[in-house]
Amino acid sequence: MNIGKQIKEGLLTQNPVLVQLLGMCSTLAITTTISNGIGMGLSVTIILTLSNIFISVLRKIIPDQVRIACYIVVIAGFVTMVDLLLQAFFPDIAESLGVFIPLIVVNCIILARAESFASKNKPAAAAVDGICQGIGYTLVLLIISAIREFLGSGALAGNQLFPAEYSASLIAQPVGGFLTLGCLIALMQWAQRKVKGGK
Amino acid sequence: MSNEKSAAAAKQPLTIDPKYVGRISGVLLSICLVTALLLGVVNSITKPKIDAIQAEKIRAAMSQVLAADEYLPIQLQKDLQGVQSVSEARAGGGTLGYVVQVTASGSQGEIQMMVGVDMENRVTGVSVIKHSETPNIGTKVVADQSVLDRFIGMDHSYGEITVNSGTNRFDGVSGATVSSRGVAAGVNVALTAAFETASGLVE
Repeated sequence: MNIGKQIKEGLLTQNPVLVQLLGMCSTLAITTTISNGIGMGLSVTIILTLSNIFISVLRKIIPDQVRIACYIVVIAGFVTMVDLLLQAFFPDIAESLGVFIPLIVVNCIILARAESFASKNKPAAAAVDGICQGIGYTLVLLIISAIREFLGSGALAGNQLFPAEYSASLIAQPVGGFLTLGCLIALMQWAQRKVKGGK
Repeated sequence: MSNEKSAAAAKQPLTIDPKYVGRISGVLLSICLVTALLLGVVNSITKPKIDAIQAEKIRAAMSQVLAADEYLPIQLQKDLQGVQSVSEARAGGGTLGYVVQVTASGSQGEIQMMVGVDMENRVTGVSVIKHSETPNIGTKVVADQSVLDRFIGMDHSYGEITVNSGTNRFDGVSGATVSSRGVAAGVNVALTAAFETASGLVE
């Protein structure tokens, strides 16, 4: 188990959003404010870690032929639990994330990690993978939502920095999400090439 | 490994080993059972809390649109399009009016709102409980109480409320026409429901 490598992969070289291009839908949809970004990122991280651990524990029991069905049941179970717990204990976050919490079930990051990592590795490694990939996802959400909240509504984490009338509300719209995400992916590609070229 | 299995399956497509089927469905079934059991436990813990939060929200919206001592839910005999519930607002033994919970359609989805109507069938207040309107566009209507308060005092004596036109005019927010129309439609439904309730048409 190589924790250092897993952290590096999750955050940078195999970042789920910027490099693997997974979970685009939620990334584009909920990154309008920082609090949404953090709420979504943490929810996905928790669900990803839990489902990774369970799928890794069950990896020798689950028959190959029905593995996807089993993964989905495990993932959907955790998502529903997190959804119910959020609604009960953090109603504000649950309300602003709305339908995107139940939709974590079909967030491809979780299924992809279950299939490509958790089903082939020991529970401890799978847990670390879940946390690293989750943090990588959260970090990207945080960056995108900070950019979009600042440019789109003139605020950061709910604190108004300049009047909303002067903001480019286009950035807070779906189209702004695509623009921001596109720029970040391009930046990531450029940075990766730069690092490789340097060696 | 899976290749060997699928190759074997291709050779003998008709032989189904009951043991093998039993193992697969057994595992799948037991995973489902355990998950369902866990979900039941979580649900039993969270359900009372979620219900309390929802009831509190509705209660707060009711007292915001029409302050009263108590709200008595009215059993509707007739189904009214978009009306979730009608409650009679009572204070000091008398009826102040009705609070109507309606669902209107906005630009991005349903807008759930509470409308207070007094005994003269005038709007006393509008409160949006739940919505999914576009940030910075639709929210200029549904999340801005000063816009929603423009409905206060409006009635149906000159016909239905229309947005930016007609004699019974509601000034919407430019750029957020669909949301404005959605909210106005909800108020219209609520006024009709309150009127019908007051005149005993639906009881």
